[in-house]
Amino acid sequence: MLTKENFFCDFENKWCPGCGNFQILEAMKEAFAEMDLPPEKLLIVSGIGQAGKTPHFLKCNFFHGLHGRALPVATGAKIANHELTVVVSSGDGDCYGEGGNHFISAVRRNIDITLLVHNNKVYGLTKGQASPTSDIGFRTKMQPHGVIANSFNPLAVALAFGAGFVARGFSGKKTHLNQLIRKAIAHKGFSMIDIMQPCVSFNPVNTFAWYNKRAYDLAEEDYDATDLDAAFSLSRKWGDRIPIGILYQKESPSYTDRIAHLNTGPLIDFTYEKDRVQHVIDTQ
Amino acid sequence: MSVDITVTIGGEAGQGIQTVGDLLAQVCQRAGLYVMAINDFESRIRGGHSFVQIRISDHEIFSPRNDVHLLIALDRQTVILHQGRIPDGGIILSDESFSEAEKPLMRVAFEKLAEQAGGKITANTVAAGSCLALLGAPFDNFKDVLSVRFGSKDSSVLDKNIKAAELGYQAVSKADFKWAFGWEKRAEKGVLMNGSKAIALGALAADCRFASFYPMSPATGVIRNLTAMTEGIPFVVEQAEDEIAAVNMVIGAAFAGVRSMTSTSGGGFCLMTEGLGLAGIAEIPIVIINAQRPGPATGLPTRTAQGDLLFVINASQDEFPRFVFAPRSVDEAFYATIRAFELSEKFQVPAIILTDQFLSDSVFLIREKFIAPASVSRFIAVDADLEDPKNYHRFAVTESGVSPRALPCRGTALVTSSGNEHLEDGHISEDKANRTRMVNKRNAKIAAMIAEMNGPNGYFEDAGILLIGWGSCTGAIKEAVDLLREKNVDAGCLTFSDLWPFPAEKVMDTMGKAKKCVTVELNSAAQFKLLLRQQTGINCAGSILKYDGRPLFPQDIIEQINDFI
Repeated sequence: MLTKENFFCDFENKWCPGCGNFQILEAMKEAFAEMDLPPEKLLIVSGIGQAGKTPHFLKCNFFHGLHGRALPVATGAKIANHELTVVVSSGDGDCYGEGGNHFISAVRRNIDITLLVHNNKVYGLTKGQASPTSDIGFRTKMQPHGVIANSFNPLAVALAFGAGFVARGFSGKKTHLNQLIRKAIAHKGFSMIDIMQPCVSFNPVNTFAWYNKRAYDLAEEDYDATDLDAAFSLSRKWGDRIPIGILYQKESPSYTDRIAHLNTGPLIDFTYEKDRVQHVIDTQ
Repeated sequence: MSVDITVTIGGEAGQGIQTVGDLLAQVCQRAGLYVMAINDFESRIRGGHSFVQIRISDHEIFSPRNDVHLLIALDRQTVILHQGRIPDGGIILSDESFSEAEKPLMRVAFEKLAEQAGGKITANTVAAGSCLALLGAPFDNFKDVLSVRFGSKDSSVLDKNIKAAELGYQAVSKADFKWAFGWEKRAEKGVLMNGSKAIALGALAADCRFASFYPMSPATGVIRNLTAMTEGIPFVVEQAEDEIAAVNMVIGAAFAGVRSMTSTSGGGFCLMTEGLGLAGIAEIPIVIINAQRPGPATGLPTRTAQGDLLFVINASQDEFPRFVFAPRSVDEAFYATIRAFELSEKFQVPAIILTDQFLSDSVFLIREKFIAPASVSRFIAVDADLEDPKNYHRFAVTESGVSPRALPCRGTALVTSSGNEHLEDGHISEDKANRTRMVNKRNAKIAAMIAEMNGPNGYFEDAGILLIGWGSCTGAIKEAVDLLREKNVDAGCLTFSDLWPFPAEKVMDTMGKAKKCVTVELNSAAQFKLLLRQQTGINCAGSILKYDGRPLFPQDIIEQINDFI
């Protein structure tokens, strides 16, 4: 049986003390351990930002690539070897800003990977600019008169493009988040958890206390996560009460399920057959 | 009399010009003639002006020619645009509805005859029939090709086309054509192939199994061919949301262990440059095809150019080793693609195939059948190859700069990679000594990479005037050398395919004695001339440059060479 200690990594952590990321990291390690998913069977792909550094702080295979581009890298890796468990660690700027088109497309492909978005509604690593999920009116040094653009609603977008697992977590509810991560990884097809987290350095509005007062667990209410209309309606709830948990879940064949050759095994496991290739050449 | 004639078929996009071109090329190939065809078209699906130009010969040919001996005009515009290229004795074959021309006009009622055959859509087959009749080709030769082309369709389609072909033949049966020739049975000289298909076959023969792309002329042909030829083969083609996604998917798949590629043109390559750098710093072997077209920005989408040379060599910020190959022919496009995959994995660097619209879309006759390699070396380390897999470091510093490459989730070795500057174990590091060490590690590969590069091919390389070219201009340059030598001009050429890292020593060995060098390039800045000077100190006397978006013709060189004699 694995414990979170199996994921211990002595590389120096570079997050601000008190950052919500620490709780997310703990929830990830606990979820992987409880799923009996050892570091050598796990691939974490990340982009740029504080969330992008996550895989450096636990033991796993990782690919830490470009800003916004974690999803295409993860998609390519999953196509090459669909037996990999692929988790993407991203942030609101990385995933919904720089990588917005990839987010939409990953949802549409229903590629069987799990996307964890550390959403603190602000850019941290570049020191406090508005993010796509910042609320209208949110003031920063770069947006001194407040954010003008409408806030990006990741859950509604994911639902609109047919995502089969759409959830919201909160870094302040670690056990709940751990359970969500396990369910998301177990889900066959694209799964995403938008994780509310405070930024202690640059977001004085959406603090731990702010979230903690508003977050309520959907599982404690009479909620049917297979009802897409209800999920849409819930995805637009933001204010005094913010639902956390699985808003919507429905499995359907994933991208790699729908490619006939891959039913016999991962792409990486096929062998080069000269005669087959020569036959293709000779029959052109 | 030797055979060497050019037939041009022009009309609007959507009139089936390319089909006529394919049919004529196939008839010639099957009759044992040499043939090559260029496709010239606008960026539109209907209307405008397109043409296919086929050169037919009984000796080997490598390039298109300017003269048009037989012009088949499916529209009026074709007559206006091309009649100036017709030498004495040439003919324009056109629909009867067209009136005047400056050159002898032979009218055939393409559309009316097509309607008689069963549908206006076969007008292009009528035209092809008339053309072949003028060339003296036996009707059965055409019938055989039509049967192959339309045999798999509803039999009425084949019947209509055969009827249309017959009517086309009969319409000109009494006419004479100066360059008609004997169609005695000759042994087939090879098979028809375009650059896109050769690259696609090369990728398959290199055991590539994943391609991601965003559609862009003239690079989509590679993917179209790959898709068609991998039906039933474990190969995944994914149309990405943009070129950035395409290159990053390829990086992800290559990281996970599958040989992967993407195909794009200059604008898409621009979007891929950050990914190219990622492959550079994370030492991921990927192959990118850049089929050049004139730019910048949208430029001329369906035309040809060699304007991306210095761009691809330098693309992406800062420095990292990469390979750049510019195939000189369709044969080389096949083998260069295999080499690109092989060397990319051997050195864990990105490799770029720099082709262009001319090579990608033109049809050539290849004499030697492509041979797939017996086996493929992957240069991958498994646990058993590693001294201590539990302490595996993806970026271990070695003398060669190449670290053992394990794959994620294939053993106990954890594969940890970052596009940030990193330690040997892949973790982020801002340490100054580490930074210098890692740059040196990556650069350490360059010497051995250069050793893999081939120097230029020479053709009369001791001549007094040496034409220097690269990539797909090679055919026209070699033919220009032949034409110049016939006129007693002491000309030769050196042509390059392996461009980066630049094989300077091999170039110096070949060029040390050269007297007067002139580069021939399809760009306005003489980019290869600049590169050659930068890398070897060799100063060329000048350059023959063409940048109108059209392919290089031997005549372009002949016309400008006097400036250097």
